[in-house]
Amino acid sequence: MKEISLNILDIAENSVKANAALTEIDITEDNERIILTITDNGNGMTEETLKTVTNPFYTTRTTRKVGMGLPLLKLEAEQTGGSLEISSKHISQFPDNHGTVVRATFYKNHIDCTPLGDVVASITTLIQGHPDRDFLFTHSFGEKTVSLDTRQLREVLEDVPLDSYEVIKWVGEYLKEQYTA
Amino acid sequence: MTVKQLTELEFFSSVTLPDPERSIDGVYIGDLLSWVMGRASSGDAWITIMSNVNILAVASLADTACIIVAENVKLDDVVIKTAEEKNINIIYSAVGAYETALALSKAL
Repeated sequence: MKEISLNILDIAENSVKANAALTEIDITEDNERIILTITDNGNGMTEETLKTVTNPFYTTRTTRKVGMGLPLLKLEAEQTGGSLEISSKHISQFPDNHGTVVRATFYKNHIDCTPLGDVVASITTLIQGHPDRDFLFTHSFGEKTVSLDTRQLREVLEDVPLDSYEVIKWVGEYLKEQYTA
Repeated sequence: MTVKQLTELEFFSSVTLPDPERSIDGVYIGDLLSWVMGRASSGDAWITIMSNVNILAVASLADTACIIVAENVKLDDVVIKTAEEKNINIIYSAVGAYETALALSKAL
């Protein structure tokens, strides 16, 4: 995709579809790499599904449960000399600690590395689209860490829904403030 | 023009042709697969230099008439075999995307 932030949106949507109550989105940058880790507590995948999930023909034509998100993320990470790792625990085998971890490593000095893009927009879009779910976002680079936890927001806001205009606007501004601070 | 007729023109050669009579109604050029997926139209000849197996899924989803792999880029055997299984027409072009499009423009 044109920007890594769009991949984030796409992969986190998979987590939501897999019934994740909490999706953690972590971006860790060092001088060489951008490491994107998306961890959810959704239904997870069986070993069989896991094997086929980066195959672009897995469900793309018929049921489209997962689509092209993971094959494209894999291609984009590998194009920079990086990699994609996925591990998952399916609810049928792990009733108490199921979920999926997707980790993509990009080498940001590679000429084919796409820019990170507007991560703030991706996070606000996710919250707005799924106000009943929780998201924990962290982005570490240099000495800085930007973060947002919707569980904490919920505690403060009590009955105010997370998709209300004021909340979304605040979230966007709160994140941007942390980036510029 | 059909995909088969295209393979008979200068610069072009057939790689897989499971649906030779498919008609080419337009042309799309692009290498960023997620972008192409949403923009190439059904019946387009899609010109790209990408060679990953994902191009087959993109062609399949967008229902393009054929993939034209330009600039003499060669596909590996796994991709060719998968294209045959998935009924996707692939054509090699010996010239760049621009020259390939010019040749198509004359022929269509």
